[in-house]
Amino acid sequence: MKIKEIQFKETASQRIYRSYMKRIEITVSSLSKSDQQDVLLEFNSHIYEGLARKTNKHETDHLIDLLEKLGEPEEVLKPLIADKKLEQATRTFNPVHLFKAIALNIGNGISYVVFGILYICLFGFVILIYFKLKNPDQVGLYFKDDSFMLLGKLNSEYMKNPNVTEILGNWFIPTLVAITLIAYLILTLLLKFKRSINKH
Amino acid sequence: MNIIFVEKWKSQVKKGTLTFIVLNVLRDKEFYGYEFIEELKKLTQIEIAEGTFYPLMNRLKKEGLVTSKWVEQESGIPRKYFTLTETGKETLETMQTYWADLASSIKKISQ
Repeated sequence: MKIKEIQFKETASQRIYRSYMKRIEITVSSLSKSDQQDVLLEFNSHIYEGLARKTNKHETDHLIDLLEKLGEPEEVLKPLIADKKLEQATRTFNPVHLFKAIALNIGNGISYVVFGILYICLFGFVILIYFKLKNPDQVGLYFKDDSFMLLGKLNSEYMKNPNVTEILGNWFIPTLVAITLIAYLILTLLLKFKRSINKH
Repeated sequence: MNIIFVEKWKSQVKKGTLTFIVLNVLRDKEFYGYEFIEELKKLTQIEIAEGTFYPLMNRLKKEGLVTSKWVEQESGIPRKYFTLTETGKETLETMQTYWADLASSIKKISQ
């Protein structure tokens, strides 16, 4: 369905209308194409129907009144975007969508804060892979006397300690990649699960 | 009397009952957005920030209580009509029962 532009007699009205529609367009730009279209069609229809009601007001005043009653697009569309974004994120598993969705939903409950922190921890693994590539001798999974000591970067004084050994060797990066992917999958499935609980 | 307290309380009540009110308005008739808001004003004197109506309907749709369809108009600017689903109707009935119980309890204690 194509969005048909409303025609005004006055250029001022036309400009106000266009700028309002533009603001909606920008506000919903992170949504899927069909969701964007739907919101624009809805607001366009609302404005058109409102203008079609009889009034003694001047066209521009009538339009401004209508838009004021509709509210600031950036404000009124917030809950819709938070909802849609989360829907999209858990459907596609795309990390960019996920971060945006979590950020938008932080205000909707403590559990999203927890999810946010867990995703950030996951990001720590990715950083560790980067440090391993830069500094292969000092980064790893270290054991001291056969028990876990450290996952990360070793201090140089410990380097000489014969009781401290790195146990993953060349497997460090593949292991970390695998753990990160699995944890990401589980976390996103949990988020999906949490949303379906909320629904019922 | 503490006017500010009462005003805050009123706005909380409105916020909490908005879905219930919306479902009631949609019970017998389908509406498109602007028409619905007019009807709401006429019936309840409640004025909502009109733009919030659309996110609310989206949520009700996701919950399966409401469906919508676009209907082409001669003007070339289609209307989106909202209707209650069967689940919506059943949900509304349960809400109405709860509301009636609550109202009678409040009546008892406030007499």
